[in-house]
Amino acid sequence: MASTSQCLASLARFSLSATSAARPSAVSWIPTFFAPVVATRYASGGGGQKKKTAKKKKTYKTFRSYDLTPMEQMSLCDAMRVLRASEAGYSPISSKYEVAVKLRTQKNGTVIRNRIRLPFPFQTGTRIAVICPEGPLTAEARELGAVEAGEESLFENIRAGNITFNKLICHAESEAALKKANLGKILGPKGLMPSAKTRTITNNLKQTMHDLVGAEEYRERGGVVRMPIAQLSFGPNQLAENVKTFMEHLKNDINELDDQQAKRIEEVVLSTTHGPGLSLNGKFLPTDEKITVHDLEGPM
Amino acid sequence: MVGVVRRMNIIREILNLRHGPGAAILPRDITRIHMDFGLRLNNGQMGARKFWKDVLPRLKYWNPAIPMIVNRTPETDTKPIMTLYFRDNTVPAPAKLDETPILSATHGHSKAPAPKPWEKTVTIDMKDVHSEKILRDFMETTGAVQVMPTEQERQDMVEVEERRRKSEIDAEIGRKRREEEKREKRMLAQARSEAAAIKAAAV
Repeated sequence: MASTSQCLASLARFSLSATSAARPSAVSWIPTFFAPVVATRYASGGGGQKKKTAKKKKTYKTFRSYDLTPMEQMSLCDAMRVLRASEAGYSPISSKYEVAVKLRTQKNGTVIRNRIRLPFPFQTGTRIAVICPEGPLTAEARELGAVEAGEESLFENIRAGNITFNKLICHAESEAALKKANLGKILGPKGLMPSAKTRTITNNLKQTMHDLVGAEEYRERGGVVRMPIAQLSFGPNQLAENVKTFMEHLKNDINELDDQQAKRIEEVVLSTTHGPGLSLNGKFLPTDEKITVHDLEGPM
Repeated sequence: MVGVVRRMNIIREILNLRHGPGAAILPRDITRIHMDFGLRLNNGQMGARKFWKDVLPRLKYWNPAIPMIVNRTPETDTKPIMTLYFRDNTVPAPAKLDETPILSATHGHSKAPAPKPWEKTVTIDMKDVHSEKILRDFMETTGAVQVMPTEQERQDMVEVEERRRKSEIDAEIGRKRREEEKREKRMLAQARSEAAAIKAAAV
């Protein structure tokens, strides 16, 4: 049973809340001359001066895109002339042409990730390891040129840290064993973890290994796809062929996406290991009539 | 990707690749240029290195068809030498060469090849010589024609220089601010660690 004081207190609270609620309206059950004089107070908050709220930083759904009108764009041969000049005296085998493709794309959503076999390949030294059940499959993998093949022995080697390969594929039958082995922490950061998405978990070892040898991987990071495209010793025609193939491949990737994820190519920039990045205008021939395509072909 | 204006400012500096010491068109009878010097700077190799870094890109820009090979050797006691190959017009040259050309390298194995029967060579000794003096010798020996910038290019170069000067001032301001921030952070950390030490001593 509630005591009388408790009841009184709750009553008082009720009456208080009633008055405060009734304050703004002139019609109330308390006569206006009994109502307290309402003075606006600024100090203790509530009404009064409004606090200045910090301006909320605008967030964008897409990566920033730039107005390209002030950009001086070049033909491929002009860019090559500048880049070859900046690479004078460096080894034309270790230096590479690189291409960066800026996309108009959303920050979230799918990213483009694929691999391509260029018409003039230049990267050598692909070393493939194959995860597959011991037996005829390991023999097949070794025959196809894998440096390592097996299941538990390979996992042991990876855990021990002696990774002698730079590409890793997994046979579909060993997928469960791979998941069990918990190697994601080691292989993930190195980009070696096989997955169906990158087409490195497969039933057809021969086809996948053929695709991997001489194939270059590219992926979109921060709205840009970057990729080494040619050796510096290549001539303009070889470079153009590689760039063209890559761009067509990329356009195909973009077309395969659904409409909500639509991407658009905004700019193509060519650079080298030691040179500046030059925006391309899609043309090929040099603008200086004293320079011919043949001049850019010779040894550095 | 970096913004367009910032990249454009960098690209404008290609003007420096186009004009300056070494911007010259070589006569047609030069077939190739070979430089040989060490990876390290001792034994008077600074001039050769500076010539490679500062002058060679401009020469290559204006003469893209002439091979310019730089062979840097890990040994320190080699003599820095430049070899110029001239075409000897008295001996007919074959239309096409079928041999693999030597390439620039840092392992020192791309030594200057012996001249072909239709070539003659001139060497320039670069030991203890300033790069400007090497360039003067080079221009004299080859008879190269200096390329002069046009009026428009001259104005652009002034602009580029102006921007470089301004950016130096800005960089200095930024450096001071960062140093100040670092100093404050360091002092705060020190005060915190001292306070923690006092607390620990009290307990």
